Amino acid sequence: MKNKLTHISLRFPWIVIGLAVAVTIFFAVQFPKIKIDTDPQNMLKADEPARLFDAKVKEAFALHDMIAVGVVEDNGAFRPDLLNRIYKITADIEKLDGVIVEDILAPSTVDDIKQGSGGTMVIEPLMGGEIETQEQADYILSRIKSNPVLRGKLASDDGKAIALFIPIQDKNLSKKLADEITGITKKYGGAEKYHIAGLPIAEDSFGSQMFKQMAVAAPATFLVIFLLLFLFFRNIKIIIAPMVVAVMAVIWSMGLLILTGNTVHIMASMIPIFLIPIAVLNSIYIISEFHAHYKKYSHKDNAIAHAIDELFVPMLFVSATASVGFFALAVTPIPPVRVFGIFVGFGTMVAWFLSLTINPAFAKLISAKTLHRFANADDGQGLLARFLHGLRDFARKHYRPVIAGAVALVIISVVGLSKIVVNDNPVKWFKKSNPIRQADMAMNAHLAGTYMNYLVFESNDADAMKRPDVERYIEAVQRDLERDPVVGATTGITDVVKKVRYELFGADSTKMVIPASQDEVAQMLFMFEMSGGDPGKLFKFVTPDYASANLWVQLKDGDNQAVRRVVERADKYIADHPVPQGVTVNWAGLPYVNTVWQKLMVGGMREALLVAFGIVFLMMVSLFRSWRWGIISMLPLSLTVMAIYAFIGYIGKPYDMPISVLSSLTLGLSVDFAIQFIQRMRTLYSRNQSFDQTYHDIFEGVGRAIARNVLVVSIGFVPMLFSDLVPYVTVGAFFLAIMLVSGFVTMLLLPAITVMFQRVLFRTAKQSVVEPLEVQPSEV
Amino acid sequence: MKKLIQLVSLLSFGTLLLFTAAHAQDATDIMKKSHLAMYYAGNDAQMDVQMKLVDKKGSERIREFTMLRLDIADGGEQKYYTYFRKPADVARISFMVDKTNSGHDQRWIYVPSVDLVKPIAADDKNSSFVGSDFTYEDVSGRHWSEDNHKFVKEDQLNGKAVYVIESVPVKPYKGFAKRVSYVDKTTFMPLKEEYFDDKGELIRVFTADKIDDISGFATVTQRTMESVKKGSKTIVTFVGTKYNGGLKDDIFAERYLKNPPRDYIK
Repeated sequence: MKNKLTHISLRFPWIVIGLAVAVTIFFAVQFPKIKIDTDPQNMLKADEPARLFDAKVKEAFALHDMIAVGVVEDNGAFRPDLLNRIYKITADIEKLDGVIVEDILAPSTVDDIKQGSGGTMVIEPLMGGEIETQEQADYILSRIKSNPVLRGKLASDDGKAIALFIPIQDKNLSKKLADEITGITKKYGGAEKYHIAGLPIAEDSFGSQMFKQMAVAAPATFLVIFLLLFLFFRNIKIIIAPMVVAVMAVIWSMGLLILTGNTVHIMASMIPIFLIPIAVLNSIYIISEFHAHYKKYSHKDNAIAHAIDELFVPMLFVSATASVGFFALAVTPIPPVRVFGIFVGFGTMVAWFLSLTINPAFAKLISAKTLHRFANADDGQGLLARFLHGLRDFARKHYRPVIAGAVALVIISVVGLSKIVVNDNPVKWFKKSNPIRQADMAMNAHLAGTYMNYLVFESNDADAMKRPDVERYIEAVQRDLERDPVVGATTGITDVVKKVRYELFGADSTKMVIPASQDEVAQMLFMFEMSGGDPGKLFKFVTPDYASANLWVQLKDGDNQAVRRVVERADKYIADHPVPQGVTVNWAGLPYVNTVWQKLMVGGMREALLVAFGIVFLMMVSLFRSWRWGIISMLPLSLTVMAIYAFIGYIGKPYDMPISVLSSLTLGLSVDFAIQFIQRMRTLYSRNQSFDQTYHDIFEGVGRAIARNVLVVSIGFVPMLFSDLVPYVTVGAFFLAIMLVSGFVTMLLLPAITVMFQRVLFRTAKQSVVEPLEVQPSEV
Repeated sequence: MKKLIQLVSLLSFGTLLLFTAAHAQDATDIMKKSHLAMYYAGNDAQMDVQMKLVDKKGSERIREFTMLRLDIADGGEQKYYTYFRKPADVARISFMVDKTNSGHDQRWIYVPSVDLVKPIAADDKNSSFVGSDFTYEDVSGRHWSEDNHKFVKEDQLNGKAVYVIESVPVKPYKGFAKRVSYVDKTTFMPLKEEYFDDKGELIRVFTADKIDDISGFATVTQRTMESVKKGSKTIVTFVGTKYNGGLKDDIFAERYLKNPPRDYIK
């Protein structure tokens, strides 16, 4: 097969290229059908219990995702002019399409239960119209502070910050609405600062920015790689083929992804970025090899055929192992990760196939003169070559310290791995300078929090939530949760009952308690409805049949770690204090759902990594037909994975979504060098039967190819380090780290090991199999 | 010739003005008649009311109460007494309204579980009545003088001849920006009302589903208010409506809140 493919490509270069272009066009025309999905909720399967429950809760309590608008004025926000501005801003926001007008929480929309004239009890808007005096402004703040339903939520106790919560019909509208709201705040705003925050806006903005970033990052990467290739090979015609292969591999995979009806999620948007280096790697080996052979044979077809012949097996295994790393992602329970893995895996094999066909076909079309110039450009004494010679001599001379260093690295890494902290927060996918991040920090510093979780109490019995024991239990859970500093406020049906009772008895604070009888609870709630309270607002906290209640748990921090801590706190309270009979308690809300998919993701990734590791190991053993070589070939990738994740552990960077996905990439890329190195070493040895000669030669052709790959991929991704989005910076940094670490491990540790164990490793090829196994260091 | 044209133009314009004014007058008149027929039938009235509150998902809540109404002046002051029977946990709550039309209505409620009579503010007529899709104003009627009325056309609705009237609040009002009423030409019952917000979007629809003649008074014995945007609706049924039963003014007093007048409330 290997000869056939090359043969055909050499014989019919135009047909091969034409066919490849035709297929590429076929996949490219699928692109307009692209379906973009920026909803992180889809990280979970559609039938994932946590997601179903969240949807059920949203439906039952008519809850919507919310945009939080924060107004911060350090000299005090409760001034007539400022409140009047907010009044106008709110009125304008109400006119926007996609806003759930009746559920807006703002001074002019929320109801206040209070003492009216003549000993009446009245429920009316907190701010019924524009105000004139400072007294009115102060009064509004005092009403917020004395209302458990509003306190901390609508304004900070110091009066420096005011929040508006804008519920929206669809999470995917949040970016658009946030932009429109920004326009409105600019129209009316004064010296005070306006912030727009909330998880939906972070997630939706990330989605839209992600594609913009990709549109910049992928071409930038492409360009840098192109320049680097030019720097190495000094010949534009030669390096066109690798770039064409990369582009085609990307188009084929993305086209197939779109054609098969899959949506392009956050993960899938990274496919091009992952495929470009993988596609380029193969070509660099071919060109390097071709260069060496052309010098020898000075015949185009022969040189190509020989180069492919040498490379076919290692390239097949390199590509196969890389795809295994990606295909293994199919075992994760996260649909977008599965799609990502399958299509990067597919793209990897496409890149392999195209490398074997497009590269020869292009080379065939290049004039002899060009090739001649290319072949004669000697790279044997370049900077890279001299550096490699340094490594070669160092590894040979100091193989013991090198191996000892590797052992030390493993020990240090194990310690570092234990320090890894699993955490994520979509808001933190933006850099600190980003307005979304700034808004998040400002609002959570002043107010009860922009992260809304829901603790839902359910029963099969109508009216169960009117039971005093249930009400008191909810109240106790609230007090317990509020002891965690991250919990800014909790609001529930209990607060409404107590507040009504307090006002009913003429603002008597001794009456601000849960009533003793169910009838009384019912009558307090009835009073709420009788006094003009909007039942729609009541039913955010309780279902109309009073069978379920919803406790709003507002968090100042959306880190999964913080959310989990609060969840565990509730779990513990519930474990220690039995829930009233017939009642069950469960969590819902976007921050909570995020913790669920993260948990699945971490577990799934670990599993995928282990599966891939096992398969790759078996592939290596079968490739080299040797357990020893199999084990050695796994060293660079094992050390790389350990070192990088240990580093993350040490610097305290949380193990988040992008980092967990990158483990599979590490696997695929790091094993590459080892395969090339070992396979070539063994081929060389079988020819010259001399370890010294082999050791010397390995640092020339394939050594340089590996070094070039290290440089191309690591430098190629430097543009990503300047991205506004943290996950992309992470990906860029990861590519850099993977390349450098696995490159060094391959070019230092593997040579040192071959030096140390040369007798054992190269025994069978040269000597009789019966020679007793003995390990002894060679004398250098 | 030129003068003639001017004269004719002037005359036609004047006629047009007169015509419009006449129709505005008609429209206001129709709405006044409708209001009196709907909310001031008889001198007094008593009925058992069942309210079925149906939310978006179709789940229902029931409210049952007895309502007594006494008119002090047609189109003017009225007194209402409401005694709740269901749901069971709010039974015995009673509620009284003194509607004055001067903008200073008074409302009191008796809460049996804490044995307390509490006046509740009545400033916001647009607030929901006991959590239903009807507002307080829908229960006792919105006075015709609060809106400017425009005659749109005569039409047919479900086989009945109706006047179609468009009403716009004189002062900006939270409840609606425009209302279109379909008033029965013979009984002056509003057969249908559509409420629009300031975006021009339909927010609520009232329909008179069943109209019976009771002691010579056309009475809407079943009516529905649908909140189009919220997706909820409330269906109200009147049972045992009785007019001119001779209700006395003295039962509309605070002490009768705690001890309902047994003559009317059993």
